[in-house]
Amino acid sequence: MRAGAGRVLDVASGDAQLAADFAAGDPDSVRAVYESYGRLVYAVAYKVLGDSGLAEDATQQAFVQAWRSAHRFDPTQALGPWLATIARRAAIDIYRQSRRNRGHASLEAAEPLLASAPPSAEQIYEVWEVRRAVDSLPPDEAQLVRLQHFTGLTHSQIATRLGVPVGTVKSRTHRAHRRLVGLLDHLRAGGPGAPSREAGG
Amino acid sequence: MTDDQRAAYLAGDDAAAHEPVALPASDVAALDDLRGLLADHALWAEPPAELGERVVAAVAAARENPATGPTPLHAVRRASHRRWIMLSAAAAVIIALALGVFFGTRTTSNPEKFAATLAATELQPNASGDVTLTKSTSGWRIELHADGLPRRDNGRYYEAWLKSADGVLVPVGTFNDGRDVTLWSAVSPADFTTFTITRQVVGAGEDSSGQVVLAGTTKRA
Repeated sequence: MRAGAGRVLDVASGDAQLAADFAAGDPDSVRAVYESYGRLVYAVAYKVLGDSGLAEDATQQAFVQAWRSAHRFDPTQALGPWLATIARRAAIDIYRQSRRNRGHASLEAAEPLLASAPPSAEQIYEVWEVRRAVDSLPPDEAQLVRLQHFTGLTHSQIATRLGVPVGTVKSRTHRAHRRLVGLLDHLRAGGPGAPSREAGG
Repeated sequence: MTDDQRAAYLAGDDAAAHEPVALPASDVAALDDLRGLLADHALWAEPPAELGERVVAAVAAARENPATGPTPLHAVRRASHRRWIMLSAAAAVIIALALGVFFGTRTTSNPEKFAATLAATELQPNASGDVTLTKSTSGWRIELHADGLPRRDNGRYYEAWLKSADGVLVPVGTFNDGRDVTLWSAVSPADFTTFTITRQVVGAGEDSSGQVVLAGTTKRA
């Protein structure tokens, strides 16, 4: 497998500026940081909590904590892994609070249950990286990946649902998979569990 | 040409017919490693559209609350400037109070008000609502109007909460039917900016169940 071809290891200039604004405590930068990283932070929180409402709370708390800690952030580093760490910690805090109420939650069978244990930092990193890779795919390819791997549809079922020939589904899926494999090469290569430098999302 | 490519060609999908559909063995192995991750619900979970505004509001609330505010470097540099602002604000408050007493304006004709539009969560996706919080001498009167919440009885009920940027939850009342509810709060929506409604069950403890059905951020009305 190729050794991380195309992967940008340095912080992009826009991300560096955003990081600098955020580190200075500029509240106006919060919206910009959320727009860039909100979905990723939410994905991390959801991975820990397995509940959309709690993940929202954790996301909100993570951004507040990140802003409060901004003076400790090094703007030459990437925001993403730093935010992921804070998001995981915020989600675990909320997870621990909610665990006290789990008996309550389980009274209603239809309610989503919390995950049995918080995922590791490595698992969070993997979710973060895969989410970034999927988000970088063209929308039609991301949709195919979702339908195949998450929804569990076959190529024929996807073709029927989208109203396109099976061959089109297969060729687009092929392109999407190749792109994903290239973008996520570093995960297979035993990539860092907590990278200190990477491209912004 | 494979059968699939031939089928695509016959279906008129020329471009697809001439593209390979089989991954190299190394990529297949790589994809196998990723299958579990690609099937993970967290990977595809989407935050609600209003969450960004809630985040911005929460950070703004944290900034405005000195007791729980941030400690960025610029805060140190601006400390002296801030002291002057606080002294000026304190002086303005004293003058305003003195004028109020002087003119005998012991009642407020325009009470302080906050409002929030409440958005549904996945637990009750068809729900909606709005809430108005009005300051009074007793506390904050909360008028809630929620639609799409099924009535809860027989030990099941709804509970409303106000939450600070720190995640401190304060219960503001319980109810069965959300269409026309009056609640009361002793904490200010200026500091506790997130209004949520949860589903609760009698006997399961006083804490929030975490089962949020409606949520919104209070803003000065």
